[in-house]
Amino acid sequence: MKQSTLRIGLVIVAALALAIGIAACGSSNSGSDTTSASTAGTSTTGSTTASTGASTGASTTAAPSGKPGAGRPAVTLGDKNFTEQYILGQLYRQALDARGFTVRLKENIGSTEIADRALRSGQIDLYPEYIGIFNTTVAGDTKVYPTVDEAYQAGRAYAERHGFTLLPLTPFTDTDALAVLPAYARANNLTQVGDLARIRGLKLGAPPEFRQRATGLPGLRRLYGITDVQFFPLTIGLQYQALDSKRIDTADVFTTDGQLQGGRYTVLRDPRNVFGFQNLTPVVSTRVLSAEGPAFEQTLNAVSAKLTTEAMQRMNAAVSIDKQSPADVARTYLQANGLL
Amino acid sequence: MSAAVFAAAPVIPSFGRGSSCVTDNKLFCWSWVREHWGDTLSKALVQHIELTLIAVVIGFAISFALALAAYRWSRLAPPIGWVAAILYTIPSLALFQLLAAVSWLGLSRTSAEIALVSYTLFVLFGNILAGLREVPADVRDAAEGMGLTEWQSLWRVELPMALPTIFAGLRIATVTVVSLATVAVFIDNEGLGAPIFDALQTTFKTELIAAGALAVLLALVADGLLVIAQRLLTPWARSARS
Repeated sequence: MKQSTLRIGLVIVAALALAIGIAACGSSNSGSDTTSASTAGTSTTGSTTASTGASTGASTTAAPSGKPGAGRPAVTLGDKNFTEQYILGQLYRQALDARGFTVRLKENIGSTEIADRALRSGQIDLYPEYIGIFNTTVAGDTKVYPTVDEAYQAGRAYAERHGFTLLPLTPFTDTDALAVLPAYARANNLTQVGDLARIRGLKLGAPPEFRQRATGLPGLRRLYGITDVQFFPLTIGLQYQALDSKRIDTADVFTTDGQLQGGRYTVLRDPRNVFGFQNLTPVVSTRVLSAEGPAFEQTLNAVSAKLTTEAMQRMNAAVSIDKQSPADVARTYLQANGLL
Repeated sequence: MSAAVFAAAPVIPSFGRGSSCVTDNKLFCWSWVREHWGDTLSKALVQHIELTLIAVVIGFAISFALALAAYRWSRLAPPIGWVAAILYTIPSLALFQLLAAVSWLGLSRTSAEIALVSYTLFVLFGNILAGLREVPADVRDAAEGMGLTEWQSLWRVELPMALPTIFAGLRIATVTVVSLATVAVFIDNEGLGAPIFDALQTTFKTELIAAGALAVLLALVADGLLVIAQRLLTPWARSARS
């Protein structure tokens, strides 16, 4: 008798625990929705004030006006795990948001491999990727393309076979490049990478993997005949200090690094494209692209069209040097370019 | 067809400069904390509190039900204890990544919470059960002698007597979750782990120190609140001592 009451009591407690568990799971979902909704809210308030000056560029890249995204299914936009990607995620998200699309932004999801897996499994519907990395890491295609168009067409063909679409590339490219101090460039009459072949015992600082990569020392040897190199392995981010202190003559940098704006360093031209092409393309699930209608693609393309190397450098500097938030920097940029 | 889209040259606006303390990456810049309290730190702190609360509440509910079952049927105690112990020993980074690989969970708050809850079970289940088992047999006999049913004895006598041990478990579990939730950033980009991760990547000292300090502060405050709650719930313990 007593035992059975205890048993019933235990069943009630267990049921209660389960109910609390389920309720909390539910609220955890709605909780994350509210956070994204509230951040989306701030960006929409920003956008309503500045949605006047749309459609500046050519007709193909004109941003649609109004709210063509209203009523379309929600999309999930991912971005990878570094500063430039956070800015790109905010740029595309806020622009889509302003056109009435419902966008959930999953920031900082990880490396290319993780982003690709998330896209293939449908956890995200699109993310910004660099064309060269798309070809090598996602498509497993290590061919060296002489032009950016050929690299893009190869990537597009692979994407089409696998249910994604690569939208048009941005003008900016975030590739490796070799930078020197302007005084050093003048003293040694350097304008392009090949000029470095004249320097004896060239002190070159770069991440350790630069030593073996085809787009590193082997490529420099093959395409430019740069052989007399003293290699300094450096962590990404520390190469500017090493240049400033003249511990090295030239550093491997990324073309959109914030540090490069303002003329403190000279970036050597790469006429033989040893470093390949890393223009950016939004990789979108083809199914989602058609479900969202043409205005979705037009909005993304209008943003991409405004992303020049200088613009990316300035935005990266605003976040990585001046520590502004990616959301604020993206909003300021979109407003200035009539995309909100 | 051209690969890239080109439009009229963009307008590059001013994004505002950081203070010299920030651009020089000095050890700690109050100016940055003041400026980014709203858009970074307070948001992360609120998310962190949510992550922690959800994990501890669910973890407690599950542990409570399991501990009652194990108290009533003592044969259940060892297997439940083993499972909880095994979950507790899985390295957090590995568990977070494992859960993220489950396709229907993915990179979500739910994945993070499942991992966090699983870390609370060992301590909470163990302490609730130990608290109940520590109730002296003569106390239980006295309750029975007073005519209380088993259920009444559990709620009115045994559980209240177990409260100090249960609260000790809750305090450990809560402080553990506060610190573990920063690692959850690898699968769920929220909470204080987000600014910590960002600071590590950009070597920005102010953000690292500010977010780290907030996590420590949150753990201390949560622990303090639990001590106060315990005092309120066990007034006899205080009067007995004084």
